[in-house]
Amino acid sequence: MRVEVAPEKVLVRPQAGTRKKKGLAKRISQKTAVYILLIVVTLVVIIPILWMLTTSLKTEVEASTFPPSFLPAVPQWKNFSDVFTAVPFLTYLFNTVFYTAAVTIGQLICCSLAAFAFARLKFPGRNLLFWIYLATMLIPMAVTIVPSFIEMQAFGWLDTIWAMTIPGMFGSAFGTFLLRQYMLGIPKELDDAAMLDGASPLYVYWKVIMPLCKPALTALAIFTILAVWNDFVWPLVMLQSDSVTTLTLGLANFTAGGSQTFVSTPISMAASTLTVAPLILIFFFAQRYFIKGIALSGMGGR
Amino acid sequence: MAAITPQEAKRGRFWQQKSTKRTVAAYLFIAPSFIGVLVFLAFPVFFALYMSLQHWDGITTPSFIGLGNFVSLFQDHIFWITLRNTLIYSVVTVPIGTLFSLGVAQLLNQRVIGLKFFRTAMLVPVVTSALAVAVIWKWIYDYNNGLINDGLSIFHIAPLPWLSDPMWALIAVCILGVWMGFGLNTILLLAAIQNVPDTLMEAARIDGATGWRRFWRIVVPLISPTVLLVTVTSFTASFQVFTTVYYLTNGGPDYGTSMLTLLVYQRAFAQNRFGEAAALSYIMFAIIFLVTLIQMRVSRKTVNAASEFES
Repeated sequence: MRVEVAPEKVLVRPQAGTRKKKGLAKRISQKTAVYILLIVVTLVVIIPILWMLTTSLKTEVEASTFPPSFLPAVPQWKNFSDVFTAVPFLTYLFNTVFYTAAVTIGQLICCSLAAFAFARLKFPGRNLLFWIYLATMLIPMAVTIVPSFIEMQAFGWLDTIWAMTIPGMFGSAFGTFLLRQYMLGIPKELDDAAMLDGASPLYVYWKVIMPLCKPALTALAIFTILAVWNDFVWPLVMLQSDSVTTLTLGLANFTAGGSQTFVSTPISMAASTLTVAPLILIFFFAQRYFIKGIALSGMGGR
Repeated sequence: MAAITPQEAKRGRFWQQKSTKRTVAAYLFIAPSFIGVLVFLAFPVFFALYMSLQHWDGITTPSFIGLGNFVSLFQDHIFWITLRNTLIYSVVTVPIGTLFSLGVAQLLNQRVIGLKFFRTAMLVPVVTSALAVAVIWKWIYDYNNGLINDGLSIFHIAPLPWLSDPMWALIAVCILGVWMGFGLNTILLLAAIQNVPDTLMEAARIDGATGWRRFWRIVVPLISPTVLLVTVTSFTASFQVFTTVYYLTNGGPDYGTSMLTLLVYQRAFAQNRFGEAAALSYIMFAIIFLVTLIQMRVSRKTVNAASEFES
């Protein structure tokens, strides 16, 4: 018997050995390939942003020499102060913060109220209304932008803070969907218990459901902040005066020569840097919430 | 059964009330959203429909011309060029962008060291405004001093007319489109891939499925709802591209990068052809609606049971 088994073992063992060695070598080369690919992709993603940063500190000559230098010889902080003297940057910043805050607060309240009704209350037409609301997400902005302009004109809101805040504050289909999906995941027993104790729906909404919805609310807040801060089309159509202009619109006007003067590359890069820096800084500190929020939206809010 | 005390009767009063009162309460909850939709969405949508049937310069009294705006659009070669450009842009950027994101998400899922670093880096463009991105890339595409042409000349390749030739400008806009959507889609898909149960992957590994097969046969079907979400949102976003083309090329040169939303904007606000702008926007609406419907239909067969849009 032993004699019969032995050849088998002899046959099997070396094979297993080489397979393992091959596996190791293959795994190392595979890992290396993965890292090389990841680094290349990351560079492609990040270089334009870094290029903006370094260029914003270069002289005009440095920005246009060949071969390009990555870092400036002497950082030209003056480029940034030039932006501040050329345009009312702080006004733009304040306006943008104000619009973003107003719209975000409005969205959080209106979306969560509607989401609560759709997820927790029973009323005739609930599903129909919800699906119609969802379907409005398919309406392209191009359809509404021109009539919205006419509407704002009729309201006398053109070129005012009202056009920039009120229309955005009444909630959105996306936000309502996100919060509703999240609320559906909260055990029904929680509100049943509160209801048996005689709580009103408003109480259940505010004291029971809302505290449990923090992750979804954070996600919605993040998406709203990004959308409003970075929006370009709406301010472009609705605004004209410097006193109400946002950062993105101000950047467009400034760099595209709207302000009569030719703007050098380093100075337009400094202006871009100033425009995007606040959100990038917030992002670095609140990254965890960003990633959670994106993941949440990808799961349809669950 | 013990008799119900008055307090108990008082408690839970709301929830035992007639359904009409509960219905009123529910409607009050949705009232703010409903008012918002009515005033700032439904009105514009129907007003655009009305406008699309009028000859109107935005100032004088509009006059009804039936489908005249649509007819003149269909006879306008600029419309067809713009439609072609927009379709090319979507058809190029959506599949390339999605496949690219899917691949990188899978790479990031290989228990890599520094995952957080890569993830952070990829999210930076997501928080950067499209306009700032356009400002940066306009310079990267610069013919004389741009980063790309500088890079090409190191390999002794002649500079490319990125923004001054219609075809190259369209390519430039497409590249930027992929670059912009890449980060968000990758993180979305990565989150979905990380949700695939390890046990399933282990079982497949034991059964001898190769990495490639495991990815296409197990990972992709399981994350198909997210893939659908990414393709649907990428398509609707790409079909409405505006900010980057507005800043980079303003539709030029020679209508080479003219896109539908940009044309709507130009017709309305630069040429005062409000009726035509509205008609054009409704053509866009129809296309987006149809394509999304087709995407949902096709995917109903392929997307697994845990559909995104189950209620």
